[in-house]
Amino acid sequence: MAPLAVIAFWFATALYAAATVLYAYFFLSKRPTYSWYATFLTGAGFLCHTASIGLRSIAEDGTRLDGPNTLILLAWALVLVYFVFEHLIKLKVYGVALVPVSLVLMTVAQLLAVTGRGGPLDSPLVENWKVGIHVALIMFAYAGYLIGGIAAVAYRIQEAQLKSHRTTVVFRRLPSLGSIDAFARRAIAFAHPAFSAGLLLGILRAIETDPPGWWADPRVMLAGAVWLVFTVYLVGRYRESISARAAALVALGGVGLVIVLAIIARTVPAGFHVFGV
Amino acid sequence: MHLILVGLSHKTAPVEIRERLTFPAHRQAEALTLLTRYDMVAEAVIVSTCNRTEVYAVVTGEDAGVEAVLDFMTTYHDLDKHDLVRYLYIIRGEAVIRHLFRVVASLDSMVLGEAQILGQVKEAYDHAFDNGASGRAFNKLFRQSFEVGKRVRTETEIGENAVSISYAAVELAKKVFDTLDGRTVLILGAGKMSELTAKHLVSNGVKAVLVANRTYERAEELACRFCGEAIRYDALFERMSEADIVISSTAATHYVITREQVAATMKGRGGRPLFMIDIAVPRDIEPAVNELSSVFLYDIDDLNGVVESNLEERMREARRAEAIIDEEIESFIGWLESMQVVPTVAAIRAKAEAIRQAEIEKALKRLGGLSEKELKTVDALTCAIVNKMLHGPTARLKQAAGSKEGLVVVETARALYGLEDSEERSGYGSLRNLLNMRAREIAGDRKKEMGDSVGC
Repeated sequence: MAPLAVIAFWFATALYAAATVLYAYFFLSKRPTYSWYATFLTGAGFLCHTASIGLRSIAEDGTRLDGPNTLILLAWALVLVYFVFEHLIKLKVYGVALVPVSLVLMTVAQLLAVTGRGGPLDSPLVENWKVGIHVALIMFAYAGYLIGGIAAVAYRIQEAQLKSHRTTVVFRRLPSLGSIDAFARRAIAFAHPAFSAGLLLGILRAIETDPPGWWADPRVMLAGAVWLVFTVYLVGRYRESISARAAALVALGGVGLVIVLAIIARTVPAGFHVFGV
Repeated sequence: MHLILVGLSHKTAPVEIRERLTFPAHRQAEALTLLTRYDMVAEAVIVSTCNRTEVYAVVTGEDAGVEAVLDFMTTYHDLDKHDLVRYLYIIRGEAVIRHLFRVVASLDSMVLGEAQILGQVKEAYDHAFDNGASGRAFNKLFRQSFEVGKRVRTETEIGENAVSISYAAVELAKKVFDTLDGRTVLILGAGKMSELTAKHLVSNGVKAVLVANRTYERAEELACRFCGEAIRYDALFERMSEADIVISSTAATHYVITREQVAATMKGRGGRPLFMIDIAVPRDIEPAVNELSSVFLYDIDDLNGVVESNLEERMREARRAEAIIDEEIESFIGWLESMQVVPTVAAIRAKAEAIRQAEIEKALKRLGGLSEKELKTVDALTCAIVNKMLHGPTARLKQAAGSKEGLVVVETARALYGLEDSEERSGYGSLRNLLNMRAREIAGDRKKEMGDSVGC
């Protein structure tokens, strides 16, 4: 099973890479045919990706929650959430940014695995159903936040183009400000409840096991900061107390924290949350 | 069979000439009947729009065909041939195919990429088809040309990106708001340009129109045209907070909307964007307004810049359209060549020879041990049967090819002998074709036609 999982992983990575090239070509040429092929390849990559995760879980008698594997799960969740949103919003252009992000996550996961960082976790704290659901929820939430963050970048770019009266290829390809803002809001509105529920489960598990000073763990505190930033975003947007421009900045700040939390902190094998023993 | 085209367009003739040479829809039947009465005209389609009149014909002889079409045009409209001929272009052979494909792809239009021409050519073809003036060649040519038109519109962006100031304003508004449904536009000043822009905005879904003018009666007059609301000039900034789009076109010699006034209006809008179009010269809106958050200001020069950039973009897309046309011409010429009598006769003979060889082989296996002389006799016998069987049909085929019904006869012969077009064969590449077709379908579904109307 394990060799098959590795083969499926590399197939998925190669298909995402091909889809990235096709999405880039679609973005530059705006030939819808290429976006169709790119989506097709992304779908095929996603199937390989799913097979890889499934086969590895069977081979290892469970899904590992170490650094590289959570990044692979995050890349998987990102593609899945993208497909759901693409189906709802029918805007292929987001694939141009999101599929490369999945590709980067897969590559980083592989590099971490090769360098041996974020190695296997043997802590008994992990062996609990709450932790499994906690990780799944957090992965989907991160995917939603990343999509929201990418939309926020697109918003800032499009706004700058409109302000400067430039009609470049980027201006033509990107959707309207209203549409980008709505997309970001929906992605974050989807992610935030998942993140909140994931945090709650994590807190419950921490209370159950009561490791000393768990609440002062840097990653736990950072997760709290992420929750706070996106709560401000959602409250501000739904109460219309902040402009779309300011909201995009808040979302970018939040995504910055997510990147630190999800990727950079994974490489630091210390503290409560990474279950350093 | 020869393809010819005799016509004139906005490029070769002034409107005074074009308007004298039109074939309106209600007179097409009569015109087509007269045209196909000429002996050498086998098929005909008359394309007549405000920018062009073109007579496409399949004729038995090129020069005589051109003369016949010229005679028809001058007689029908009672024009002097020598006067008319100065404005006409005469195209023959393969160049006719290219010209038609370029016309339907709107590469030859006054406004590059406009969407109307495809429908107009379709209408012209329908008239010809309904009146029995189009035959096998034009049925294939015109149907393929419609495919070319569709391909160009779906595979390139030739019809996208506005090329007029008013449409550019609408397009920019759509880049801010996504949809204009339910939006409110405020018109400041009752000028023609602001009225035209507002008209386009309303036709794109804008719900409410507010009109402010120094003279309240003028504001009421304009508001009435859009079922909108006239507002008092002194209530302008109070009501501006309701607006999503502001179009300003007053005759004032100074700024009538300043940064401070807009900044005050933006408070309490909940960050809702405001798109402002200043089409007045001198400008009505202080340029610093564009520095405010969620405010997007475009003046007449900015809009002109957008239009120019869009025109350049259409020109770039036109080059891609030409490549599509080249592909389609190749495909049509392939079909046309297969419809020629010589390759058809050769294909029939080749098929008959293949059958003869196969049957001889089978017979020889059954007979076994024939002498050299007997073998030669069997071979000569079968050859003679095949030749005698084919002599009559091929001679008659060659004879019929020169007549009006030549293509029909050739096509019938190809069908009877089972000589299929290569495009109808299945096999290698069918999966690729299927995927391409699906991708094209999706592209077609998504495409929206954005061409500027030329009002013909």
